[in-house]
Amino acid sequence: MFGYIRAFKPYMRMCEYDTYNAVYCGLCKEIGRKYGFVPRFSLSFDFTFLALMDMSLNKTDLCAKKQRCIAHPLKKRFCVCCSNGLEYSASSAMLLVYHKLKDDLQDKSIKSKLRSVLLLPFFKCPYKKARANYAELAKSIEEQMASQRAIEQEKCASIDKACEPTALIMQEIFGALGNAGNKQNLMRFGYLLGRFIYICDAFDDIRDDCKKGNYNPLLLIFDSDDNNKVIDDERFAKIKDYVSDSINFTLGELAESYVKLEVENYKPIIDNIIYLGLKNVSDMVLKEKFKRKLREVKDDERSV
Amino acid sequence: MNDPYKVLGVSPNATEEEVKAAYKELVKKYHPDQFEDSPLKAEAEEKMSEINNAYDEIINSMRSNSYSYANADENSSGVNYYEVRRHIQAGDITTADNILDSVPQNVRNAEWYFLKGSVCYTRGWLNEAYQHFSTAVSMAPANAEYRSALNQMDQQRNGYMRGNPMGSYANGRNGQLDCCTTLCCADCCCEMMGGDLIPCC
Repeated sequence: MFGYIRAFKPYMRMCEYDTYNAVYCGLCKEIGRKYGFVPRFSLSFDFTFLALMDMSLNKTDLCAKKQRCIAHPLKKRFCVCCSNGLEYSASSAMLLVYHKLKDDLQDKSIKSKLRSVLLLPFFKCPYKKARANYAELAKSIEEQMASQRAIEQEKCASIDKACEPTALIMQEIFGALGNAGNKQNLMRFGYLLGRFIYICDAFDDIRDDCKKGNYNPLLLIFDSDDNNKVIDDERFAKIKDYVSDSINFTLGELAESYVKLEVENYKPIIDNIIYLGLKNVSDMVLKEKFKRKLREVKDDERSV
Repeated sequence: MNDPYKVLGVSPNATEEEVKAAYKELVKKYHPDQFEDSPLKAEAEEKMSEINNAYDEIINSMRSNSYSYANADENSSGVNYYEVRRHIQAGDITTADNILDSVPQNVRNAEWYFLKGSVCYTRGWLNEAYQHFSTAVSMAPANAEYRSALNQMDQQRNGYMRGNPMGSYANGRNGQLDCCTTLCCADCCCEMMGGDLIPCC
């Protein structure tokens, strides 16, 4: 879906990398088991992180088996199996992907419209199933999607307000992992993570949105008088500085709440994601390399 | 209960520093650890709790007084900023924000901007929070509280993340060099407040 929350591989130990991949594969299989074949391909690293946090906070021991999988038919890989953490992540992934596809239906571009028309039928059933299990979460996601549309319609120029729906969704998702002691902290953590995702996404799309005249809060903050379809360099530099500041504020605060969580299990991997992965992603986003890089990563994985 | 000023042995006009000094002296004298294995232990404990209560009472009344002084000229806007602070501390952001919004634009002072910043900060609206804190500091540059709030956000703006075990993978605006500058600044700040971050300089 978004894929902005990922580990920074060069700084990972082999064992950490294996565990990280095992969670990814396990989650993919869990989605396959519960929701069917097609939804498996919607899996992103964001939900791997959610599963990791879940396993870490609930102190789930790692139980992994070597299994074959359809994406890598030649080699057996470690997959995490049988953990509650996977179930919750898989379900919330289904809820979010469904809404994302539904959102794409309203998109102006033919390509994403067509894609979502084709994919939506495969996600209808999983969505209903996940909603039955997590009715409250599903309801609040629905509400936030509605307020997101309202914000887009009124062309809100405040990045703080524009972030709010995504942030609140993540707040809800992460808050559900906590108990009485750390719930508040986890909610803040989730909120800031959602904020990070939204800002990155907005900057990633900025040139596209400008060309097509779509809503993007960043375009409104530094409004230009002429209805240019292209962002000139001066304006772009201003936006970039602003986004860089916003991301750094968000990550700084995210670290504050993360430290208070006092994560123990899987700490090296989660540290890697928080302190290196997110920085790396935001760096790439700011250099406008993220989308291209994503494609490269996918090609890379296919060739393995 | 006894008069707290008599308990600490200070005059009612004493400054905060004087009260603190008197309190420290008394704690040294009556600390129960010194009366281990002594029949006076229970008495010492009682005395300690009396001293603590007296100290808290005096300090609290000083703090709230200083707020009401600070509010004296604000009361033209009819808003009690101390109350807003209490709401923010209690986590009642909506009420605090409503009170703040009722203040008309032309009578908003540094305290207003600081509190509005705090409300935004608690909500996670970090960009707005930063703007308000900046305004508060530029209106009242001498206020340490406003400045420390702004400083914290400035550090984050430069890419600081608490608890980072990986050292610097800096993506701050000014790159690697800024880390040293930040450290030096932090050291200076610490020294100013009486502490020390880098002992050798």
